[in-house]
Amino acid sequence: MHLQGVIDKAVAEVGRILLGKEGQIRLALCCLFARGHLLIEDLPGMGKTTLSHALADVLGLSWKRVQFTSDLLPADILGVSVYNSKDASFSFHPGPIFTQLLLADEINRTTPRTQSALLEAMAEGQVTVEGETRALPDPFFVIATQNPIHQSGTYPLPESQLDRFLMRLELGYPHASAEREMLLRQHSASNDRVQLTRCIDSEQLDAIRRAVAEVHASENLLDYLQRLVAYTRESAEFAVGLSPRGALALLDCTKTWAVMHNRGHVVPEDLQMVLPAVASHRLLPAGDYAGDGTALVALLQRNVDVIRA
Amino acid sequence: MKLLHQVPRNALVWIIIAQFTLVAPHAGRVPTWILLLYLFAALWRIQVYRGQWSFPGRWVKAVMMLSGFAGIYFSYSSLIGLEPTVALLLTAFALKLIETVARKDVYVLIFLAYFVCITEFLFTQDLLIVGYSLLNVIVITTALVALHQPGEHQFNRRTIRLAGVMVLQAVPLMLVLFFLFPRIGPLWTVPVKSHAAKTGISDFMKPGDIANLSQSADVAFRVQFEGEIPDKSQLYWRGLVFSKLEEGAWTNLGYFDIPAKQRRTVIVDTIGDPLRYSIIMEPTQQNWLFGLRHAVPDRPGILVAPDFRLYSLVVIEDDFRYSVESWPEAPLETKLSSWRREVELRLPAGDNPRTRELANAMRLEAGSDREFVDAALERFNVEPFVYTLKPPLLPDSNPMDAFLFDTLRGFCEHYAYAFVVMMRAAGVPARVVAGYQGGEINPVNRTVVVHQFDAHAWAEVWLPGEGWVRVDPTASVAPERIEMGLEDAVAEEGTFLAESPLSPLRYRSIRWLNQLRLRYDALTYRWQSWVVGFDGKVQFDLLRDVFGEVSAGRFAAALIGAWALVLIPVALSLLRKRDTRPRRPLDREYLRVCDRLEAAGYPRRAGESAAHYATRISQACPAWAAPLEQITALYNTCSYEGLSSGETSEVAKSFYRAARGFRPRRCDSDIATAGPEFDS
Repeated sequence: MHLQGVIDKAVAEVGRILLGKEGQIRLALCCLFARGHLLIEDLPGMGKTTLSHALADVLGLSWKRVQFTSDLLPADILGVSVYNSKDASFSFHPGPIFTQLLLADEINRTTPRTQSALLEAMAEGQVTVEGETRALPDPFFVIATQNPIHQSGTYPLPESQLDRFLMRLELGYPHASAEREMLLRQHSASNDRVQLTRCIDSEQLDAIRRAVAEVHASENLLDYLQRLVAYTRESAEFAVGLSPRGALALLDCTKTWAVMHNRGHVVPEDLQMVLPAVASHRLLPAGDYAGDGTALVALLQRNVDVIRA
Repeated sequence: MKLLHQVPRNALVWIIIAQFTLVAPHAGRVPTWILLLYLFAALWRIQVYRGQWSFPGRWVKAVMMLSGFAGIYFSYSSLIGLEPTVALLLTAFALKLIETVARKDVYVLIFLAYFVCITEFLFTQDLLIVGYSLLNVIVITTALVALHQPGEHQFNRRTIRLAGVMVLQAVPLMLVLFFLFPRIGPLWTVPVKSHAAKTGISDFMKPGDIANLSQSADVAFRVQFEGEIPDKSQLYWRGLVFSKLEEGAWTNLGYFDIPAKQRRTVIVDTIGDPLRYSIIMEPTQQNWLFGLRHAVPDRPGILVAPDFRLYSLVVIEDDFRYSVESWPEAPLETKLSSWRREVELRLPAGDNPRTRELANAMRLEAGSDREFVDAALERFNVEPFVYTLKPPLLPDSNPMDAFLFDTLRGFCEHYAYAFVVMMRAAGVPARVVAGYQGGEINPVNRTVVVHQFDAHAWAEVWLPGEGWVRVDPTASVAPERIEMGLEDAVAEEGTFLAESPLSPLRYRSIRWLNQLRLRYDALTYRWQSWVVGFDGKVQFDLLRDVFGEVSAGRFAAALIGAWALVLIPVALSLLRKRDTRPRRPLDREYLRVCDRLEAAGYPRRAGESAAHYATRISQACPAWAAPLEQITALYNTCSYEGLSSGETSEVAKSFYRAARGFRPRRCDSDIATAGPEFDS
């Protein structure tokens, strides 16, 4: 099927500038195909912004970038009405949010007030400024990056707002070989940003969406999914289990993943692949459990068997 | 109030239900106002729950408590004794409901409920009551379970099912404790049932007493013979021996009526073959026991009186079991002391002149005492005497003259009375014996069931050389009474159990009903002999049979061992995985393949999917790669692809074929260490 080729090409295209991170690139694309917002969390300088730019390029979306700082205000994102003295009226100057893909860099450096303005727009797909509701373009994606919360000068996102992101990715250090290649390339191509070619147009995006809706999820698989979800709600290590929205997100991503691998049905491996990205930021460890969300997901996978035994 | 401390609705409902089911069996024993108190308490508590009324204040509670005490004092004219204390407990149980504010109060109420449940056994140990109490325990436990399900506001069948399961799980522990827990003597004694009615034959006899008793279908006692059951006409269960006739009533000799020298047990020559049997008596609140002549008891605490009757040192308040050896052919007291002769000849002076005259005349005609006895019996047979349950009332003075010459209608006690008066008047020592005659043989378990309507009175005369000889004048009047039983003897009259219309004994002609009755009676016998009669002595004997010697250490070992035997399976079943829902056959087959691979040294890792497992094994052991990949692909197709049911069954068939044919042997190469890629 040609969709598969298109997707593989997009992955390869992004891989040109983000070396050795194919898994994360595929997950990020999966998230955008599932029409979800993406949160990338890692230390500074790991390639978060690079990935965001590259995704915008290959999807051929109009994009804007906002660098979040502690003094950023909601109006700086949403837009503002300015008095025009010529015709004695207010005219609205749209903010950077009126774009198809918004890169919200270091979202946890700004105050909760600004964060919530953005997150509300993410949930509703529209913005209300001065009593007037304005629709955001379609598709509308947010790729937010954030620093690990224990860094100084951050305002951690509350769980309710973390839940609005379909996936959370961590990039991690590159492999030695990939890093070597990057270092070599840096030497020759100076600081210019590499312009990537657009691989997926909006029709193909819609086609992927339609294909996802037709993916078959068998009883066995739903059973496995439900047992995973039930485990997070019942087990002592979890303070908060997966919500029904979390379960829906999990199924949605799993189906998208199956489409990306050219299958009309879902297999447990699909679920296992997307599970860490979809679930880890929605899970909270109970008071005396030392691990973070990622450790919880590993625990979850160990303790829930694919086959009911 | 915090939600945590509130009483859940369901727990409240269940404890109120438990209150009513618990008080119900006491209803016949306690005053009516206690039952009304239960209704009142339930009403109050429900109104509190609905927010209509409020909890009682301190003074109201004090007044209610004191009124409770006063009410019991007025109803029983005492606060001490079994019934008043149980009534006090029931009153407290009812009143406690009104002040159950928080969860901790419900705990008190529930533990009180378990205690109230036990009090029923102070009055009866009937099999039906035991079953009912078990139901009560389930209801109380349901309240306890509901107390821990605060979120439930609807009736939930799970609650009662869980309680039932818990009670069932407790049953083996109950049995262990019952059979093995040391039966130490009571640490305190339960006060005597001061208000319980004495049942059975009484220690004095007036004409009419036994006829009244004959209206009762209650069981007096049950007998199990070791050998053959003797003929019914030989079953004369001696209970009381009436030697004294004063003011128209027969009584037995009291302890102080007998001179000190005569009090010792008379030695009897035991000749002939003995009958061995054990008797389980229903409680009578009296101390005399029953046995065929001549009865020798098997244990201390049961004595033989100088007139050869059995009695217990304590009053029979509960089902009482004892074993007896009887020597029917043994002569009793061949030599009569002068005191005894004088006692057994004594008649009130000037009484019944016509009877005395008749007796003296007959004695003169007869050649010996034996012939005189026969002549007297002959007279009862020939004259138109009628055996009836409804004899006419006899005058207080000279009653036997009226009976023998005018009315001629009587019941066994009339005949025995008249016969003994005639004997004594003519100088033959004689006395009345009261007890039971006959009994019903239950074919189910070969026991003899003796009912109250089998109560009987007969006579004993002392003949030179023979000692005391049993003479039953009733047998001369109505032989069918002795041969067949009371029912046939009064069949024409239709008075058999005329006052007990609901007794199942009246419907013996209905076959299945009678079978049911006999079976239940056999069950009751087992219950009484194995459970109610399981006392310290039986327990000791049982343990000695099993362990050889009984010591404290062995007792403890048996108790702990049996306890562990019950609890270890429970613990093991808890250790097993909780989810026991049946797996799909497909999964089961696949897991069998996994088991085989595990046996070959390659277990599936926790949470590993079929495809990952196959990949890992194939890397480790390429020889298996092809069949395993086929199996996995087929399994995944069946499990996850949206095939139509027909296609699925086709694929499933080939899966089963491939899976069953796959027999891995040990593989030499090392297992691959690469696991499934979980992290992104």
